[in-house]
Amino acid sequence: MSPSDDQTDVERVLAGDISAFEGIVRRWQAPLVNLAYRFCHDRGRSEEMAQEVFLRVFRSLGQWRKDAVFSTWLFALATNLYRSELRRIPVHAVSLDDIAEPADARALAGDLEDRDRDLAVRRAVFGLPAKYREALILFYFHDMDLTTAARSLGLPEGTVKARLFRGREILRGKIPKLLAVPRLKEA
Amino acid sequence: MKRLIERLIENDEIDRALSREDDILPSSGFAASVMDAVRREVAAPPPIPFPWKRALPGLVVAGVVLAVVLLAGIVVLAEPGRATTRHFSTAVPSMMPPMFDGGIQSAATWTVLALLLAFVSVKLSMRLTSGRA
Repeated sequence: MSPSDDQTDVERVLAGDISAFEGIVRRWQAPLVNLAYRFCHDRGRSEEMAQEVFLRVFRSLGQWRKDAVFSTWLFALATNLYRSELRRIPVHAVSLDDIAEPADARALAGDLEDRDRDLAVRRAVFGLPAKYREALILFYFHDMDLTTAARSLGLPEGTVKARLFRGREILRGKIPKLLAVPRLKEA
Repeated sequence: MKRLIERLIENDEIDRALSREDDILPSSGFAASVMDAVRREVAAPPPIPFPWKRALPGLVVAGVVLAVVLLAGIVVLAEPGRATTRHFSTAVPSMMPPMFDGGIQSAATWTVLALLLAFVSVKLSMRLTSGRA
């Protein structure tokens, strides 16, 4: 996946060769579907959202300024669409307050599998306010690269850093509850 | 238990939990379906531009008429003396514009004028939407 491939394909598409867009789709389908999946945790919906991103990219290829890396522009566009799409139809999230307190402290002592614990933390991210949730999703999606996450969100790095800090703080405050994963309330 | 909670409270644990999220693979037909959507979009006729050339005269006339009506209204309101000394049916408020002063004949004239204006605006909009931009 090299930036020059993207640039070549973009130029061909702009010159009228629509089939060149397939190269862009094939190169970026997995990252865009995965990013969408992290926003909504719904496979079908993530493909729909990613398809909409590709359509928007196709319509606005001419607006890509070549001084920016294609992927930066692409992820910013995708993030923007995913955020507004989820504002329009929110994901059914389990509120952090809806996570049941363990009735028996021994439940916490039980050895939870790493996977279950990870799943509980990920679910808890969905209970966070949108601005913290989005910062966390983008930060971890971009392998903890703050600069790239900030660019995707279109926010200053300092703002994203503050949101990450606050988001983790909320998560940490809820961690004793998170350990009671098997007792998640059915909403 | 305490040790477990302490471990999780560390940022590293949150980092680990959120970084390890499983990746999903797009379905096999995803790229083809995107390309189909792109081709459909290219094949679709471009959106019809608004026919400003045709609409402009109508808009100008409408603007002028609106301005005249507003001006007439302001003039009537600015002459309270005339409004109160008007000899008119008790059913009509004294602030009504002078168009009603002339009785049934004048009202009929205004009604015909209003109908004519409505007819012209309907014809104009039909002409604009006829697709001959």
